[in-house]
Formats: sequence, C-alpha cells, structure tokens
Amino acid sequence: MSEAILKLKDAIISYDKNLATQMAEEALNEGVNPGKILDATTEVIREIGDKFGKGELFLPELVGAASAMSGAIAIVEEEIEKTGQAVEKIGTIVLGTVKGDLHDIGKTMVKTFLVAENFRVIDLGVDVSTEKFIEAIDKYKPDVLALSALLTTTVTNQRKTIEALVEKGIRDKVKVVIGGAAANQDYADEIGADGFEGTAPRAPRLCKRLLGKE
Amino acid sequence: MARKKGIIRNIKPMEILSKEQIELIHKNTLDVLQNTGVRFESERALKLFKDNDCDVDMENNLVKFPRGLVEQSLRQCPSSFQLKGRADQELSFGGNTSCFLPFPGKDIFDLDTWEPRTPTRKEFYDTVRIMDALDTVHYTGSYVPFFGFKDVPPVMQMLEGDAANFRNSTLPLHCNYGNDCEVFAINMAKALGAVNLGVVAVSPPLSYQEDACISAFRNVEAGFPIYLQSGATYGATSPVTTAGATVTNNAELMAGLVLVQLIKPGTGVLVSDFGFSQNMRTGYPVFGRIESSIHQLVFNQIWRGYKIPIGNHSTGASNSKKIDYQCGYEKTSAVMLSLLSGANEIGYHGCVYGELAFHPVQLILDDDVAGMIARLMEGVEVNQETLAFDVINNVGPIPGTFLTEAHTRKWWRQSQFIPKSADSLTYGEWMEADKKDCIGYAKDRMDEILENYKPEPLSSSEENDIEKILNEAREHYRKNGLISGKEWEAYEKDLKSPEYPYA
Repeated sequence: MSEAILKLKDAIISYDKNLATQMAEEALNEGVNPGKILDATTEVIREIGDKFGKGELFLPELVGAASAMSGAIAIVEEEIEKTGQAVEKIGTIVLGTVKGDLHDIGKTMVKTFLVAENFRVIDLGVDVSTEKFIEAIDKYKPDVLALSALLTTTVTNQRKTIEALVEKGIRDKVKVVIGGAAANQDYADEIGADGFEGTAPRAPRLCKRLLGKE
Repeated sequence: MARKKGIIRNIKPMEILSKEQIELIHKNTLDVLQNTGVRFESERALKLFKDNDCDVDMENNLVKFPRGLVEQSLRQCPSSFQLKGRADQELSFGGNTSCFLPFPGKDIFDLDTWEPRTPTRKEFYDTVRIMDALDTVHYTGSYVPFFGFKDVPPVMQMLEGDAANFRNSTLPLHCNYGNDCEVFAINMAKALGAVNLGVVAVSPPLSYQEDACISAFRNVEAGFPIYLQSGATYGATSPVTTAGATVTNNAELMAGLVLVQLIKPGTGVLVSDFGFSQNMRTGYPVFGRIESSIHQLVFNQIWRGYKIPIGNHSTGASNSKKIDYQCGYEKTSAVMLSLLSGANEIGYHGCVYGELAFHPVQLILDDDVAGMIARLMEGVEVNQETLAFDVINNVGPIPGTFLTEAHTRKWWRQSQFIPKSADSLTYGEWMEADKKDCIGYAKDRMDEILENYKPEPLSSSEENDIEKILNEAREHYRKNGLISGKEWEAYEKDLKSPEYPYA
C-alpha cells in the first residue's frame, strides 16, 4: 500500500484534517487510483464507526474523524468527476435546520453519520427558508430531504415546508424525514413526513430503509 | 398581602472558586465580548449597539463590546426586582431570597407503564391547581407544567398554557416568546394588572435569534423585568470544561444584559443558567449530572459578586424515565447545591426526564424536598432559649425526659421538618398500611388537593379579557397560516366543549 495512503489513514485516526487532505493529494500525485483512496477512507471511518458501536469511541472522536476525512474526500471526488465518472453513493440527502431555528449540532451529527455511511449530503445550514429547500431539491435532485428543528416554536416550519412541497407538486419527488428534540413520530405522521428518528446514529438506517437499500 | 414569599437563606452561601479564579473568568469573558463578539439577528438591536459605541458588523450581525459598556451595564442592573401575579401575589427576586418554579416537561406519563403522552386540557388545568396549592411553588410560567395539551395547535400552546396559569393560580409568570406570542402574553398580564418576567433566551454559542431580541424590546417597553437564559450543552454549544463553558455562558448573558440596559437603563434582569452535559453517544443532553451542578456553583458565586439575581434551571431534570431512586438523587443533589450556593430562582418541581416528562405526583414529592431544603436554609438559631440550659438542668440524667417539657412543646415544630409524602412508619405499621410508599402517599395528597383546593378565580371581567385576547391570537394565527385547517378543526371542537376552559 502507498505510503501516502497509510499516512492518510493515520491522519484521519489522529483527527488531523490538514494532514489528511495533504496525504490524499500526495496519493493522487503518486498516481494511486482515486477509488482506492476512497476505499481507504471508508475503511478507516468504518473502523471508527465500529469502535463507536462498541462504546470505545464517542461523538467527539467520530465527528473529529469525519471532519478530518472530509477534505480528503472532496479532492478525491473532484478528481474522479474530472474523468467523467460518477462517484457511487447510496443516495443524496439535502439537509437543513428550518426557518427561525439556529440549532446546528444535531444536524451536523446526522450529516456525519450519513457521510460515514456513504451518502452524498448537501448541508444547507441553519435558519433555512422553505424557498431554499425547494431550490435545493430542484438543483440536487435528492432522494431524501431531512428537516431539523429543535424548538417547539419552529417545528411548525417542518410542516410548512412539507405543505410547500405539496403546493409545488414535488412532494412525490423526494422522501421527507424530520428530526430534532421537538419532533416525534406522532408529529411526523401528522404533518405527512415519511420518517422520524430520535437520535443521529439512526439516521442512516432510516434513509436506507426509505430508499429500499437496507 | 402576598401568600407566598419565597425561601429566606440565613446561612452563608457555598463557594467553590478562589478570588483569583473569579478574576480570570471575568477577564476572559470580557475578552470574548471584545474580541470574538456575539451574534444578534436583529437590525434594531444592532443599530442600538452601534449607537452606543459597540463595534458592529451589520453584514454578519456580529457585535463586539467595549469593556466599559459591559461593566456599566452590570452596575446599572438592579440587585432585586418584583413580579406581580393576581390577588396581590407579589414576589421579590434577589438578595437572600430563593423562589421555586416547576420545571416543565413536554408530556405527562402513565404511572404504571411510565410511557409519555400528551396531557389533556383537564390534566393541565388540574396540575396548575396543585401548583397553586403547594407552599413551595412560588411562581409559574410559559410551558409550565407541560409544553401544551391535547388538541391545541403548536403556535397556541404557550398562550393557552399562560391562560391556564392565570386562571388556576394567582402566581406571577415568566412568559416566553416566538411567533409574536409575547404580544398576547403581555396583553394578558396588563389586563390582570400582573407584572411578568419576559423571557429572552440565548442560542449558544454566542448568538441571539431575532425572536429573542424582539421579546427583549417588547417586554422591556411593557415595563417588565427580563429573564435572560443561556443553556449550553457542554462540549457541543460551549467548551466542554466548566471554566470555558462559564466564559461563553457569561459572555452570552452579559451581551443580552447590555441590550436590556440600552433599551431601558435600570430594568431588572434575572440571569439564568441552564446547561447540561452531552451524551457523547447520542448527542442528546444528559440530565442530572454533577457537572451541571459544578457549573451552577461557579455561576452562582460569580453572579452573586455582580449583585444580579440568579436563576438555576439545570436543577429540575433527571435522566430517569420513572419516579425512582435515580430521579430522586439526581434532582435532590442538584437543587440542594443550587440553594446552598445562593440561587434566587430555581426550576425544580414536577419534572422527571429532562423537559420531556412531568407528573403531578413528582410535583408533590418535590414539594417535600423543597420544604426540607427551606428548613435547612433557615439555619440554626442559637440563643439562651434554644440552648435550653435551664431545661437541661431541670431534666438531668435518666430517668429524666425532655418529652414532657414545655420547651419541647414550644420548639419541636420549628425544629423538625415533617415531609407530607414520606413513609415515616415502622415495619408493623407499614405492613398494615398495605406497604404504601412515598409515591402512594403523594397520590393520596394529589387526590386530596384536587378534591378540596379551589384557587381564587378570575373575576368575570378578567375572564372576558383573557378569552378575548386568546380569540385575537387564534384569529391572528389562523390568518397568517400558523394554524392549519386540520389543526383548527380539533382545536375548535375542544373550545366548544361544555367543560371549556376547565378552570
């Protein structure tokens, strides 16, 4: 195995984003197949995920590794796309915290778990208007739209976003899932969402189930 | 004459920091305010800061605060203020007084299965009645005791809850905000001659959303004091260390305090600490942990030094889903440490699992704990009479007994705190009493209160005013689409019920 790939894996395990990105570049310069580099990153993140599952590692380590990996993945995927090939993903998720709500942490955790499970994630950030969600659906053609809301005063904007999809006639183009402390399964059913999960680590399982890829 | 006045602390407050440690935290807090800044999503607030010598980045909504302005605002803030409920129920915040507020939970739960569910309107109103009956519940507020009740659309839950509190108790309220709810909450208070505590909450780290800023302007302009609350999750929305979390927490609160003092100098402010550890597996806050209490001990010592009234809200929640040993030790240790370190306002009664579950039986059990701590706060009276020298001399050694002494008859009730729901029986008595435990006694007390206790009702003109304001709110939210047709259908059915409003 290339020295750069070994160093890349070490950098991810040490949560060093700059070094991981640099090593991915070095591996590409050495002529390592981009697919092999992606495989190496997936292998590391799975190991970290397994340790998380066994209770040996916790969220700060998981999120740290995902962040360290993100720079490397971006440049490798760019390289693959230059060759006209598509990067193989389980599905595309558009993710954001709804209008009026600035809470970011839970959503970022969901993103981390989805990326680790090989989903393509478009993160629209916080305080996202219905219009922005609709623009993103049009642009990225996601399989799943994931709406986060922490506050009892902002969960109504999860409903409003779903209603806007119905009005635009695009509700059947995308599965909608909701999450956040103020949401629950009853509320998801009431507002016509396709799914709800209470904790971030379960988000990939929900999305896989909705896409029939369990 | 106020019926409930809070608990008076006669003992020296507990301290955890050295003078040097306090100075370091203070300095770092001012440095964060000056160098990092705080985000305010409000053009009106940004302009006010700009006009008062803050360094304001209008594009990124970021405000950096000069040290002098922050320290001036801390000095301008009064060391105490008063709230007013109905029927002359006034309550002071500050100094050595401590007041209890129930800590809300979203749902009620079943005592057999422990599974949560949305409470009914009747359960909400009955629980408020129990709160009013208990001596250690001193004030109430929005989303207390539950976040809402069945068939009420989300946008009306706060106002329906506020109305229930006004109808079934005479206690003062803290009132929340969002989607213009505070406008109707202020109108309700004004109609009843009440003085609310207007809530303004930080969105950590270092941010205030637009709704929070609007609430600050509206409540201050209504003449109400402000309840500034910052609740970080350590390691997620604040540094994971107590010192670091205190710096961001205090910077957030000081930034809000500057805003309030700029809107109207001299406005009363209560700063409230509401932080939790994070479950590093799920990302959810984890309740009832000692870190929250350590944080609150630090917080209380520092803000007592600033002479600004202090609230503690990490005190009321456990991570247990049941009324059990974990729930008992987590809540009791937290509330004990809060009171010992001088908190003036404490969210405590009724909540079981952090903000998600509340039960009137827990509310009644917590009345005993609060009473027990109130007894502790009274301290120890040492004088000629309590030293009982003459009585000791009179009784002497065995066969002497103090039971027959007039001194015992005079002093025993002041010397003992008798919990109302604790099992105080011997084994024999306990077997005869069907092995009843504290939950059983609390249930009995709940039934007894519901059977006999009648809160002072609103006058018919006050009731008309409250209903009129609720109707205006319902109309407003239907017009702007925040109550859907389906939601209105269920809500209207509830409003037309012959039992409405269950007061």
